[in-house]
Amino acid sequence: MELIHHLMLGFSVATHPVNIAYCLLGVTLGTFIGVLPGIGPLSGVAMLLPVTYVLPPTAAIIMLAGIFYGAQYGGSITSILVNIPGDASAAVTCIDGHAMAVRGRAGAALSMSKIASFAGGCFATLMIMLLGPVLTDVALQFGPAEYFSLMVVGLVTAVTLAHGSQLRGLAMVILGLMLGFVGTDVQTGTLRFTFGFEKLSDGVNLVALAIGLFGFSHIILNMEALVSRKIEMPKIIGILPTLADLKACVKPILRGMGVGSLLGVLPGGGAVLSSFTAYTVEKRLAADPSRFGHGAIEGVAAPEAANNAASQTSFIPLLTLGIPPNPVIALIGGALTIQGVIPGPEIISEQPHLFWGIVASMWIGNLMLLVLNLPLVGLWIRLLRVPRGILFPAIILFSCIGVYSVDNSAFDVGVAVFFGILGYAFLKFDCEPGPLLLGFVLGPMMEQNLRRAMLLSHGDPTVFLTQPISLALLLVAGGLVAVMVSSVLRNGHQQKLESEMSN
Amino acid sequence: MIRLSAILLALFALLPVGVHAADYPTKPVTIIVPYPPGGTADIFARYIAEGMNKAWKQDVIVQDHPGAGGNIASGQVAHAKADGYTLLLGTSGSNAVNPNLYKNMPYDAAKQMTVVATVASTANVLVVGPNSKAKSVKDLLAMARANPGKVTYASSGNGSVLHLSGVMLANKANVKMIHVPYKGTPPALLDVMAGRVDMMIANGPSVVGNVKAGKLKALAVTTAKRADALPNVPTMIQAGVPGYDLSSWFAIMGPSAIPKAVKEKINKTVNAILALDKTKKRFAAIGAAPLSMGVDQSGAFFQSELKKWGKLVQISGAKVD
Repeated sequence: MELIHHLMLGFSVATHPVNIAYCLLGVTLGTFIGVLPGIGPLSGVAMLLPVTYVLPPTAAIIMLAGIFYGAQYGGSITSILVNIPGDASAAVTCIDGHAMAVRGRAGAALSMSKIASFAGGCFATLMIMLLGPVLTDVALQFGPAEYFSLMVVGLVTAVTLAHGSQLRGLAMVILGLMLGFVGTDVQTGTLRFTFGFEKLSDGVNLVALAIGLFGFSHIILNMEALVSRKIEMPKIIGILPTLADLKACVKPILRGMGVGSLLGVLPGGGAVLSSFTAYTVEKRLAADPSRFGHGAIEGVAAPEAANNAASQTSFIPLLTLGIPPNPVIALIGGALTIQGVIPGPEIISEQPHLFWGIVASMWIGNLMLLVLNLPLVGLWIRLLRVPRGILFPAIILFSCIGVYSVDNSAFDVGVAVFFGILGYAFLKFDCEPGPLLLGFVLGPMMEQNLRRAMLLSHGDPTVFLTQPISLALLLVAGGLVAVMVSSVLRNGHQQKLESEMSN
Repeated sequence: MIRLSAILLALFALLPVGVHAADYPTKPVTIIVPYPPGGTADIFARYIAEGMNKAWKQDVIVQDHPGAGGNIASGQVAHAKADGYTLLLGTSGSNAVNPNLYKNMPYDAAKQMTVVATVASTANVLVVGPNSKAKSVKDLLAMARANPGKVTYASSGNGSVLHLSGVMLANKANVKMIHVPYKGTPPALLDVMAGRVDMMIANGPSVVGNVKAGKLKALAVTTAKRADALPNVPTMIQAGVPGYDLSSWFAIMGPSAIPKAVKEKINKTVNAILALDKTKKRFAAIGAAPLSMGVDQSGAFFQSELKKWGKLVQISGAKVD
C-alpha cells in the first residue's frame, strides 16, 4: 500500500508540466550526447551542470538523470552504424552491432538496442523502488577482498571478449592492465610511467583512450579503404527486428538487466563494466559462441540492457547513502548539493517528493526515449549515406571536443590521437581493442583493492578465501579458467590427431 | 639599442596596470577551479563569481581544470599574468598541502602564489561505523594503545587533508595506527560504515546525513569550535586531544605580483559577498562557515598554513614525486 502511495506521489511530481518538460529536454540532450562520439554522459552532465543552478532541485536532477540514461540510448547508434562508440559503455556494442550493420541489418540492431535499453531501464526503475535498501546492503557487503575477487572474474572473462585468437585477446588484456599502471600509486604516491607529463599523474584518461582505440583507428582504416575505393555501402534489409530476433533476445535482455542492476550499485562498476560483463556472459552461455563477433543480435541486446540498467541503479547509493558510485553520479550529487539538498539517507524520509519524483521520472523518461528513438532509426540509418568525406571530419571534430571537455585538457586530445595510431596498428595485426579496454578499467581497481585488502587483513592473504562472497567469486573464476584450458587442450589434441591422420 | 627599447617597452607595458587598477575589471575575469565541477570548491567558485558579477557588472567565468591533485590549475594561475584577471579558487589541500607533498611542483608556492581573499572553512569529523565498540575518542585511542598498529583509518588519498588529519591525531595522542588510502571519500566511507575500517576523519558535508541517520557515529569535530550542523558532537580538544585544531579552507588566490590596489578591490568585493545573510545560510547548508580576512591578513594566513601543513606532511612521511 505504502508503495502505491509513494508511486502516486512520485508520478504527481514527475508529471508536473515543468518536470515533464525538463525530463524531455534531458533525454533528448542525452540521446544527442550519446550519439556524438567522445561526448559521453560525463562531459555532457559536466557542461550542463551550471545551467541547473537556476532550476528547482527536482527539475534539475530529473534533467541530469535524463541526460545520463538518455546517453545510454544514443551511445549505441554510431557503434552500430560506423563502428565508433558514442561513449565508452557502448564500445562493446561495436563488436556485433557493426557486424550486423555490415550484413545490412543495421535497422534491426538499432531497434533491438533501443528495446533492450528500454527493458533495462524499466527493470532498473522497478529495482530502485522495490529493492533500493536491499541493493544498498549489497554494496555494503562488498569490501576490498570481494572487489578483488570480482575483478579476477572480470579479467578471466575479458579474454573471451576477443572473437579471434584467445592468445591475442590475452595479450590485449595484459596490455590494458599495464596501461592501468600509469599514474600515481595510491598507496605510496609514487608516479609510475608518467614520463614527466604532469597530466598523466592521474592516469590515462578513459574517454581519450576509448575514442582513440575505437574511434580514430577505424577512421584511419576507413580512409585507407576510401583511397583504394574499396568501401561498400551495406544494403539495408528491414528496419525492425524479426520475431526470431525478439525471441532470441528475451533471455539475454533479462540477464543483461540483472548484471547491470547489480554492477551499477557497486562503486567503480557503472555502465562500462556492466555492458562488457553482460556481453561476456552471453558469449559464455551461447550454444554457439562462434557467432559472436559476426552479428549475433544477443551481443547487442544484452550489453544495451545492462548499461542502461546500471546507469539507473547507480543512483541508489547516492540517494540512500549519499555515496556516488561513479563520476557521473558524483556530478549529479554535486548538483543536488548546490541546490541545498545534501544527498544521503535522509532524502527518502525528508524529501519524498524529490526521491519518488526522480524515480517516477525515470520511467517516463525511458518511455519518451523509446517513442523518440524507434521512429528515428530510419533517420539514423541515413547517416550511412552521408559521404565519408563529410562524416569522418565531423566525427573527429566532435570527438576532440568531447575528449577536451572531460577535464578541459588539450593534452587528452593528444592522448586520443596517440591511441588512434596505436589502435590502427592493432587493427592491422588483428588485435581487438575490447579486451584492452576492459583490462584498463579493471586493472587499477584490482590492484588498489588487493593492496587495501592486504592492509586491512594485516598482511594475511587467506582473507580472500575466508570471506564467503570472495571465495565464491574466486571459485567461479577458477571454474572458468578450467573450462578454457580444457577446451584449448582438446582443440590442440584434436588438431594433432587430425594432422597425424592426414599424414 | 633594440634590447634597450624592448626593456623600455616592457616597462611601459607594466606601468599602466598600477595606474588603472581602480578601473579593474575592464574585461571578463576567470576563476579556475582545481577540482571537477559539482565539488565543494566549484560550488564556492560559482557562488563568489555570481556575487562579483553583480558587483562589477563584468563577466566572471568559472573553469574547472582538475588534475594532478590540483597542481595543473594552480600552476596555470601561478604562471598567468599577474593582473587579477586569472584567479584560482584555492584550497588547503591543493595549495597548502601539495607544495609540501609534491617533489616537483610546477611553481614556487610561497613566493609565486598568495591568498587574495579567504572564502570559507569547513570542519572535518571523526566518524566510526555504527557497530564500532568505540563510543568516544578516548575509547578509540585506548583501542589503538592496546593494539598498536592494528587500528585502521581511511582517507581520500595519500597526503590528502583527511590523511593528514589522521596523522595529526596519531601524533598528538602518541598512538600508532594504519592508514588505508582510497581514491576519494565515497568508497572509503562505505568501508567505514560496514566496519571494515575502524575510523575516518571525513569532510563534514559528506557525513552529516549519515550521522543523523545512524549509519555512522561522529566522535569529534576537528575544529576548536563545535560545528553548527552537529551541535552534540564535541571538538577534538573537548574529547581529550589537546591542541588539535584543523580545518579545510577555500580562498580566492592569485599570483603574488597582482598589484596591491587590485588585490584590495577583489578582497573588498569578496568580503561584501561573505557579509550577506544568504551567504551564511548557503554555506551552512554544505557544512561550511564564511571566513573573512583583509588582504594582508589573508597573505599572512597563507604563509602560516603552508608551514602548518608542511609540518604534518613531514610527520606523515607522505610524498608524491
